[in-house]
Amino acid sequence: MGLPDAAGDLSSEMEVDAFRRLFPLRFHERHLAESIRPDGRPVGGARDTSLALGAVGSSDGSALAKIGSTTMLAAVKMEVMTPLSESPEEGCIAIEFHMPPICSPLVRPGRPADAAPVVAKQLNDTIVSSGMINLKELSLVSGKAAWMAYLDIYCLDADGALFDAALLSAVAALSHLRIPQVSLNDDGRVVVVSEEGEEKIDREPVNKEKRKLNLTNIPFSLTCVLHKGYILADPTAEEESIMGTLVTVALDSSDQLVSLYKPGGPVLAHTSVLKDCVELTKKRTVELQKILAEAISDMDLE
Amino acid sequence: MAGKTPTTYSPSPRLKSKPAKNDAYDSVRPDGRGFAQCRPAFMRTGAVNSASGSAYAEFGNTKVIVSVFGPRESKKAMMYSDLGRLNCNVSYTTFASPSRAQGSDHKEFSTMLHKALEGAIILETFPKTTVDVFALILESGGGDLPVVISCASLALADAGIMMYDLVVSASLSCLGPNLVIDPINEEESREDGNLMISCMPSRNEVTQLIITGEWSTPKINEAMRLCLDACTKLSTITRTCLKDAASSTQD
Amino acid sequence: MVGLSAGEKHFIQGGIAQDLRTDGRKRLDFRPISVETGIIPQASGSARVRIGATDVIASVKAELGKPNASQPDKGKVSVHIDCSATAEPAFEGRGGEELSAELSVSLQRCLLGGKSGSGAGINLSSLIIVEGKVCWDLYIDGLVVSSDGNLLDALGAAIKSALSNTGIPKVQVAVGASGDEQPEVDVSDEEFLQFDTSSVPIIVTLTKIGRHYIVDATADEESLMSSAVSISINRRGQICGLTKRGGAGLDPSVILDMISVAKHVSEQLMSKLDSEIAAAEAMEEDS
Repeated sequence: MGLPDAAGDLSSEMEVDAFRRLFPLRFHERHLAESIRPDGRPVGGARDTSLALGAVGSSDGSALAKIGSTTMLAAVKMEVMTPLSESPEEGCIAIEFHMPPICSPLVRPGRPADAAPVVAKQLNDTIVSSGMINLKELSLVSGKAAWMAYLDIYCLDADGALFDAALLSAVAALSHLRIPQVSLNDDGRVVVVSEEGEEKIDREPVNKEKRKLNLTNIPFSLTCVLHKGYILADPTAEEESIMGTLVTVALDSSDQLVSLYKPGGPVLAHTSVLKDCVELTKKRTVELQKILAEAISDMDLE
Repeated sequence: MAGKTPTTYSPSPRLKSKPAKNDAYDSVRPDGRGFAQCRPAFMRTGAVNSASGSAYAEFGNTKVIVSVFGPRESKKAMMYSDLGRLNCNVSYTTFASPSRAQGSDHKEFSTMLHKALEGAIILETFPKTTVDVFALILESGGGDLPVVISCASLALADAGIMMYDLVVSASLSCLGPNLVIDPINEEESREDGNLMISCMPSRNEVTQLIITGEWSTPKINEAMRLCLDACTKLSTITRTCLKDAASSTQD
Repeated sequence: MVGLSAGEKHFIQGGIAQDLRTDGRKRLDFRPISVETGIIPQASGSARVRIGATDVIASVKAELGKPNASQPDKGKVSVHIDCSATAEPAFEGRGGEELSAELSVSLQRCLLGGKSGSGAGINLSSLIIVEGKVCWDLYIDGLVVSSDGNLLDALGAAIKSALSNTGIPKVQVAVGASGDEQPEVDVSDEEFLQFDTSSVPIIVTLTKIGRHYIVDATADEESLMSSAVSISINRRGQICGLTKRGGAGLDPSVILDMISVAKHVSEQLMSKLDSEIAAAEAMEEDS
């Protein structure tokens, strides 16, 4: 942004692409002045969002979420553990967020992306504090065996609003989760009861009813970029890198605030701006709930 | 969430005691295919927008994404080179294989992918720079490396990297007296030998050949013929996929 | 990296085309091979193989271990190769790591055969002591001391020599252990079982330079290669593994031709190596 004045002079003669590369901020501001974004969205609008459940056959529950071209694949794998002595009636959930080198030119093998641990921490905080999962439901035999749910989220394509997409894929994978039917064998180990029932079932499954998690207060989120009084919902990677102030709001299905995250940035947000962000998130939550419900009902039909 | 995670195990039943020898070599494959029949293959370019080129491949249960970045600046420490550099990396997701703890780290896959591709890429066309080929195996269903190789060459083509020909790859398992093409995990785990070939079909050149297990020469002949046949079929699929992608962007 | 001038390259290539290499060998001749066994007293077996200026050491260490749950009737073998930084300037720092990994994987592939264990050079079932409980773990370590080409063949020969030098202690299993208990074993320090190496294959690498292939290439010759095929062959003339190295593509019929040439060459190398190993063992017993 060395030559802000030159931009004004040259812009009339320059090709659009060159202008976008040379003066990215000016390029975006021109759009904002017309209340439109470079990809044709209104300032407060989110990108097309889609959700597909059951993308990974080798897991117990999985989902692929796409917000614009940001793509997240989440999968849950259930394993058995001995519950901790302080909470013998509870299972556990371990959430990991990965940014493999395929997702962005900024990530190289062996060098994790800067954003990955941040998103991982946010995800963990949001999912655990929302209380959407009742860890007691993951218990199998009190004090002896409980489920450990490994939730792994992979970013396949990074184009902004990573946390929103990651959270959406995570909650969708958890909604898709079908807990395998298990029983105890002679050694006290937990083994899967085969679905076909070919072998004679000599042992009663320990979790006949609890095959699905009861998710309450599912959180959804929206990331906004703040720039000179504009609030841009659901930014792309380009917008995030040019205008550095991000606000992420997560609300649960009954409009309770689960988390609010504003990691610094050049713009100091007024409380009224934050209120606007929350309002936008409320609208977005309704959209996302509908998308999730449709995905689930599509799956049930099949 | 007490800092450390307790040790866990997968409740899946142990591998059942091996089937009796005589029905190990039965005439039907676990998924009902014939011996010389490949899995249905689906390939598509442009899976990852932020990459210069990318492709997604799905062969049966094996699902793979490959992104290509560059040609871009080589690492600072690299010396000047008239030829471009090729850098490959293959990784698995934690949920790719049925047991999470297993963590199959196929470190050699990265070098093997590099070896399969380097003969096909015209490195002279991008001096001083590096092309990165990164592969992620989303789900492992057997024959992972051949799928990665075929998918990677499609991604390279999508990125506009100059190549002599598309590289396609196929593998074959030797199970007792039978040669089964494009094996799934179940077959690979009890195979007597394996042969994997990567080739450029229009130039009739083999870029990579790996054989394990004990083989007689006539058997190698037969296996290579089967694999090359499969490669030729696969190359028509990859070509169609590229043509479709090109015609859809023109519209 | 060997820096060769255009003239030198041309000279080497011309020689190979006329079946006369720079050191006077024909295309399918090996350099003199020397084998020394039992050079590391702490190991269960060890050997040093020199082929020309290429110098490698292999050692075998047998330790008691627990079989993998997925294969309760088999012992475990791991192969690790280290390229010493003194062997070549390119191996300094992390330079040798990639080559080390590549060599380890290729050797593992040709020693262990298919996943079901057929065609394996080392019979894994012979390493079991108590099924599912106790087995021998063989740690095979290779060290490249000096490198002048043809490392894989040299390492293959060194591992074969080290294995034939390996004595596995006799083990007495205490009776009475049952169920989950780990049985007690008594390892004899006097009686050893000779390791059976009759099915351990040897490796022959054919390097293609111009239109011809040569065996046992020196580092200079390797720098000119368009591609190379490493083939491991056992005593019965069966192929136990094959890896193509080097970038340029090969016509499938050329590969088949190379396999038959390698088979032919391997017979000579096998008998040469056998007599060298026997001589080395005799030397060791005399001293």
